[in-house]
Amino acid sequence: MMKKRILVATIAALAAVGAQAADMNKVLHVAFNVPETGFDPAKVSDTYSGSILENVFDPLVTYDYLARPAKVIPNTTVALPTVSADGKVYTFKLKPGIYFAPDAAFKGQKRELTAADYAYSIKRHLDPTINSPWSFLVDGRFVGADALVKAAGKGALNYDTPVEGIKVLDKYTLQLTLNEGNYNFLQILAMPAFGAVAREAIEAYASNTNAKPVGTGPYTLKEWKPGNKIILEANPNFRKLVINGQTLPKVGRVEVSIIEEEQPLWLAFVNKQLDISGIPQAALQEALVIDPKNPLNVKLQDKYAKQGIQLERKKDLEITYQFFNMQDPVVGGDAKEKIALRRAIAMAFPRSETIATIRRGQAVPVNYVIPEGVAGYNPAFKGAVKYDPAAANALLDRFGYKVGADGLRTLPDGKPLSIEMATGTSGIDKQWNEYWQKAFDSLKIKLTFKYGKWNELNKANRQNKLQMWGLAWGADYPDGENFMQLLYGKNAGDANSANFKNAEYDRLFEASLKLPDGAERNKLYDAMNKIVAAQQPWIFGDTRVRSQLAHRYVKNFKLHPLLNTTWRYIDLQK
Amino acid sequence: MTSQTTLLADDASCPASRSLWQLGWQRLRRDRIGLTALWVVLAFVLLALAGWLGLAGSHWRDEVAKPNMPPALFKDYGPATVELTAADIDAAQQHNTSAADASAATGMSAEDDPLAADMAAAQTQAAKAAPLAVTPANDSLLILGSDSRGRDVLQKVIQGTATSLLVGLSGALLAILIGTLLGALSGYFGRRVDDLLMWFYSVFTSVPDMLLLLAFSAVMSRGIDTVIMVMALTSWTGTYRLMRAEFMKHKGREYVQAADAIGASHRSRMFRHILPNVTHLLLVQFSILTVALIKYEAILSFLGFGVGVSQTSWGAMLAEAPAELLQGYWWQMAAVTLFMSLLVTAFSMLTDSLRDALDPKVK
Amino acid sequence: MLAYILRRLWQMVPTLFGVMLLLFILFNWVGGDPSYILAGKSFSAETLANIRHQLGLDKSLPEQFLIFVQQVLTLDFGTSWSTQQPVADILGSRIGPSLTLALPMLLVSLLLSVIIAAIVAYVRGSLTDRIVTLICTLAMSVSALVYIIAGQYWLAHKLGWFPILGWSDSLATNLWLYVPLPLLLGLVVSLAPDIRFYRSCFVEEMNHDYVRTARAKGLSEQVIMLKHVMRNALIPVVTSLMMSLPYLFLGALLLERFFGIPGMGNEVLNAVDRSDFPVIKAITIYVALATMLFNLLADIVYKLIDPRVQLK
Repeated sequence: MMKKRILVATIAALAAVGAQAADMNKVLHVAFNVPETGFDPAKVSDTYSGSILENVFDPLVTYDYLARPAKVIPNTTVALPTVSADGKVYTFKLKPGIYFAPDAAFKGQKRELTAADYAYSIKRHLDPTINSPWSFLVDGRFVGADALVKAAGKGALNYDTPVEGIKVLDKYTLQLTLNEGNYNFLQILAMPAFGAVAREAIEAYASNTNAKPVGTGPYTLKEWKPGNKIILEANPNFRKLVINGQTLPKVGRVEVSIIEEEQPLWLAFVNKQLDISGIPQAALQEALVIDPKNPLNVKLQDKYAKQGIQLERKKDLEITYQFFNMQDPVVGGDAKEKIALRRAIAMAFPRSETIATIRRGQAVPVNYVIPEGVAGYNPAFKGAVKYDPAAANALLDRFGYKVGADGLRTLPDGKPLSIEMATGTSGIDKQWNEYWQKAFDSLKIKLTFKYGKWNELNKANRQNKLQMWGLAWGADYPDGENFMQLLYGKNAGDANSANFKNAEYDRLFEASLKLPDGAERNKLYDAMNKIVAAQQPWIFGDTRVRSQLAHRYVKNFKLHPLLNTTWRYIDLQK
Repeated sequence: MTSQTTLLADDASCPASRSLWQLGWQRLRRDRIGLTALWVVLAFVLLALAGWLGLAGSHWRDEVAKPNMPPALFKDYGPATVELTAADIDAAQQHNTSAADASAATGMSAEDDPLAADMAAAQTQAAKAAPLAVTPANDSLLILGSDSRGRDVLQKVIQGTATSLLVGLSGALLAILIGTLLGALSGYFGRRVDDLLMWFYSVFTSVPDMLLLLAFSAVMSRGIDTVIMVMALTSWTGTYRLMRAEFMKHKGREYVQAADAIGASHRSRMFRHILPNVTHLLLVQFSILTVALIKYEAILSFLGFGVGVSQTSWGAMLAEAPAELLQGYWWQMAAVTLFMSLLVTAFSMLTDSLRDALDPKVK
Repeated sequence: MLAYILRRLWQMVPTLFGVMLLLFILFNWVGGDPSYILAGKSFSAETLANIRHQLGLDKSLPEQFLIFVQQVLTLDFGTSWSTQQPVADILGSRIGPSLTLALPMLLVSLLLSVIIAAIVAYVRGSLTDRIVTLICTLAMSVSALVYIIAGQYWLAHKLGWFPILGWSDSLATNLWLYVPLPLLLGLVVSLAPDIRFYRSCFVEEMNHDYVRTARAKGLSEQVIMLKHVMRNALIPVVTSLMMSLPYLFLGALLLERFFGIPGMGNEVLNAVDRSDFPVIKAITIYVALATMLFNLLADIVYKLIDPRVQLK
């Protein structure tokens, strides 16, 4: 008991020493609309948990808050790494004097961040006992790491075995050696999943690392009620970070509530129980004046503008698409009549109408596999088919999909035609399904829905049991490769959910990997997009434009295209 | 609910005769409230029948008006929101494409497209054919306004009545059937059969309803039949308890033993002799259940387990209410609430009157 | 009496077994595979196999069921599959808020409904009786969903009488700040059917011969009402109360979702959504146990109130 008290006293003393910029009386109230899962960087992959990780852990590099387009800058390193001429060896120099947040695992000692912490954190993503959801980003990437993983078998990785590719040169120097040059490597390292954890802390809380994140970031996890509330407090050991003359973070406490229903989420913001919030779909027209001539040109409704509420917008780095299972005997295949079927369905889907009604105009149609803001995007390419249900019907007629006695089309061989679409069960899913039903009705094709939870549908799809399903893909890093790989044959059944296998596409993709971002690679991307347009494994959806609101007293409010949160920059002046 | 049934089980301690029905009808006819309630319920059933037969509400999926138009009587009480259309999006898309992009516009060229010839032919064919009659968004007012897709709320609510009533009535009927059958077996045979069924019953009542519900609806597809099945499977227990008690009581009565003496089979004793004497309880139970299930359906729909997109129900309409209310579109919720409360109130009052009218103790 | 209780407790064993069997079958049939959530958005077959191994999903079904039996016997359900928090911690943190909302609601509702029901039963047939019955019937006819949506929108947002939502660590704050609105809305939903039901119990009792006898003996109406009618009518009241107790844990699902209350109802929904079997198992078993115990309690209380009841 006594011992514990002394420990507490030491921590308090340390806290007093640290250059504490944050005002502990300032509390920022925000909300997530989906429950988080946990805070171990190697165990969670959802955006919401990631938003917390971003504030508790420090990756080696990060993004400049203000620069657009997004620019990678050093975070805990003195400068961006030096890269060898062949693009394979990255050498990082850490800033000395960065300390982990005080924690019982450090037994009262001030614990400095070292290169070994990053080596350990990266290796954790390879550990077979952890099953990191991010392992696809590190598998086969580092020289000598495969042998280490193989040696571990099903057991834990031996973190003490030296690995050529993940080498600690001295206390502050980390050298990463890649098997192949990679133009996106720094952007991958900037992801919150690659923040530094302390081995002592991970081992001390081995059974429950999700609840005990200990990092060097601006905030620490103070309290966690899963699925209800997450409370962060400023990290007393946080290094002195000055941006534009302001020492960060400013706000001492961040309270995140989980509010899943749209009505309470929106009303809580309007009634100032939340300081910052997105606008739920239902409240878009209530909050914004949308110009019908240009729906992306919006301003706040007068009643909110008068209160000084601030509006910030960003176009998500994402695409949505409805895929066909290309291995399915009915909708898949590259025979002409199969392409015609897929093409007809795409032509019958009223995409602009869904953007007008469901998205309330707050989205742009996708016409290229890569969205705007991601390297490789081509705004001039029009990959989506024109909405034309009459021509779609004529096309089906031409290929022998005859209308039978029951008013429904049959397959060219006379067998009945019925297509099943996978879908979730939420209210928003239902709004989409109404449009799909309408599209299929206009084609006189029978449509049924397969309802399921996301994981069940994902499983079914991996087992090749789905015919159609709608998905969204958000950028892990802003490079076209992250999107073009969605149709790469070797990823079939995994990220390539359409099971699309096209030799020419694969050849072009492999060639594009060897090229940096630029005109030459763009040419390959265009050629690949033409194949996608011709084969129609997807029906292109849209890219959402998100609005965020903050009350008058929230200062420094600005959105970043890749960072999930900007809490550390925010100040409150009530 | 369960306790209500225990109570019912207690108070029907004397055997009812067939004339109880005549007596009950006479009593009901004298009961003005009960009679009015009966007429209201009948009117709803007729409306629902019309809905099932496609005589009313069958055009609920047609987009006949502008989206979110307030009801005719309250045409100035809706929010002044401009609804976007597909044309706006297309126009904005064109507008936002910079001149440079437009001039460089690429895409799939004819030689890339395996279907180029067929597409061209289809397009000409489509252009030649009479252009699809585009029904212009109608400005005429609707009595109950329109929903977010411009569908007539009145049509929707009629179709919803048909679905909800069907769901409520058949769900209740199925639950009563399961409950009565199991209850009869359990009460009549007793011993092993009773032990087994009682075990089954306690297992079902001990597992939280919501879990059963989530589980059942996860396996089955969406549709009226699923909703009915799920409801019956989670609500047969009350009837089972009631019927078990009744059959236990009745099987010792003289008239049943007399039937035994003349060689009536078990089945005949159970269903020809005992059952008619407890039907009045079932009728009351049935109407209680119907009301409960109609309300239950609303919650189910809200949780995402309602009917599919080609059907609508009161619950499906109410599930849209939170989002609509936030935007100031109150009329769909108001319409459903009005219809639902009228029917449910009438049904509850009818239940009260039936209970009184069929109570053998009241002279 | 003791023997009776012991026998009843013994009878719970097969029921509990049945619950476990049903739950196990349901989950393995429809519960979904959590490894597909844990694996992230892009993963290899080995990763999937590893996760399944760690969760014990690669064991045979009988083996998995045996583990379940073991968990029930020790009441230790391990850790959640999705957040990896100990299940006991999760439930421990959920039960408080659930009860903070449910118990006051139960008490207020019981008190109000018994009093109102007794009054209207006493003046049965009068205008007051009819009006109250009508109001109750009308109030019952509106979906709970409508009350919650409209209540939050108008009472909290438009009128600003209550906070929109929220929950704190302090019981007092919760009781005077965050509970009142959900409590009020919960009452509107539960009060009307209770009043109607209790009224019918009272009226039922009043029609009995002994009441007429008492009246003939010259006892005052108040005495009859309080001493005789109330006492007997309490039996169904108590039974219904006991029966409704287990629902306290899960019954307030919608209120919890709309008012940000970290209770059990929402936890179940999230657990089902994430195929978090350990949490589902624990909640189901606890609720099943509670249901059985309260059933037993109801029978015992029944016996205490009415000595004529034979326990067998």
